Amino acid sequence: MILKRRQKYLQIALNSTLDEARSIINQLPSSERILIEVGTPLIKIYGKRAISEIQNVVPEPEETYIVADTKCADLALREVSMAAEAEVQAVTCLGVAPIETIDRFIEECQKNKIDSMLDMMNVEDPVSVLKELKKPPDIVVLHRGVDETEFSKEKQIPFYQINQIKDNFDAFVSIAGGDTIDEVQRAILNGADIIVVWKAFYQSTAETTKLAEEFLKEIR
Amino acid sequence: MLERNKKYLQIAFNRTLEEIAVMINSLPLSDRIIIEAGYPLIKAYGTHAISEIKTIWEQRVFGYISGTSNISRMKSFRLQEISTPLIDLLLKSIKKEQKREIAKYKKVAFSPYIIADLKCMDRAFTEVEAVTSAGASAATCLGLAPIETINQFIKRCEEIGIDSMLDMMNVEYPFEILSKLIKPPTIVMLHRGVDEGEENREKEVPYHEIERIKSVYDDVLIAVAGGEIINEVITGVFNDADIIIVWRLFNENPEKITAITNEFLKELK
Repeated sequence: MILKRRQKYLQIALNSTLDEARSIINQLPSSERILIEVGTPLIKIYGKRAISEIQNVVPEPEETYIVADTKCADLALREVSMAAEAEVQAVTCLGVAPIETIDRFIEECQKNKIDSMLDMMNVEDPVSVLKELKKPPDIVVLHRGVDETEFSKEKQIPFYQINQIKDNFDAFVSIAGGDTIDEVQRAILNGADIIVVWKAFYQSTAETTKLAEEFLKEIR
Repeated sequence: MLERNKKYLQIAFNRTLEEIAVMINSLPLSDRIIIEAGYPLIKAYGTHAISEIKTIWEQRVFGYISGTSNISRMKSFRLQEISTPLIDLLLKSIKKEQKREIAKYKKVAFSPYIIADLKCMDRAFTEVEAVTSAGASAATCLGLAPIETINQFIKRCEEIGIDSMLDMMNVEYPFEILSKLIKPPTIVMLHRGVDEGEENREKEVPYHEIERIKSVYDDVLIAVAGGEIINEVITGVFNDADIIIVWRLFNENPEKITAITNEFLKELK
């Protein structure tokens, strides 16, 4: 895995437009603990150009960890090879995808020296999915979707699953879907390695730098 | 937008846009052909893939070749590079003529139908809007997405005037998902994934679900994906599928696309 063990990371998901993404990146503090995610909407709207444009704006492209949130659901070999060509550091696959796809995805990521991220959105029991795999992914993402959050306010991020996963598998755990400082604190307290945020970074504002610094302060 | 009691052949395109342009221009003209902008294609080119494919297919359907498509423009002529006022005038008059031709053909031709294989998993509102503005006639959502996303997806598709297609790949009981929804989608897709089909030969397209779904949701059309040989098409039609989705055979044999399409269409009656 490319990421360092015992380090906590802040993953900033860019989901709005390429212009916003550029502006946000320009305001981020320099930190090796920030991971930049090219969000699914950006990839679906701009294609792989979204990745190269973001790589072009980051101040230190060689040092920056870029995640392509492609949400692979099938054709894993093709998706990973596209990510490898784009020279990203990590790529995502859906935990609800067929097991054959996930296994191929993880194997191919390993061959290409890319970190594999398995997104458990809408997976009730992530441990049972992980048990079916030939090999666990580098990172397991526990994820409450945007639509779920908006339309089912009672749905909680399953923080208790962090340790369930870490006790059984050699994998990082990332938490996505909680954007408040309170949720970030709870995730860290429960042992998460990566916190994914998007809402606070959907549009660039005068507060962007400060917000990133505040999140980084909580994620230690 | 699709007619009931008609059988359709949906061809998923996943090569480069330049190759797809050649393939689409070799397709027989049939209102029973649905063009799909495949998921890998959308990830490679973004929504531009949808608008480009739509333009190419429209040009083909309306019998008009060197039109507004970027690819056709690139291939046909490079007048723009040596632009002068006289050439500008000439281009304007060509465009007028082209518009007249399109209007003429529109009276007799069918309306091209383009599906964006979005495989929406979240943010349904944004995704539906993005593909609709690129010109899609329908979009897909994963049956494995959160119920909130599927409901939002179907609702937004209806509001905006495109067909919703729910992809049941890796869903063990499609019926169970449908019963949880506020409203069913326009089309249910029964799907064996490419990776599943290759690694697990015994996994079959669940044809038995077709009648089960139709008996309760009589307005819903059923598409089947994952079968690539003519016998599987026959099985799909025999089991009352409305749309047969094909991919590999067509993308791996672009030079034979006219003959293969004709052969498949013949079975889809």
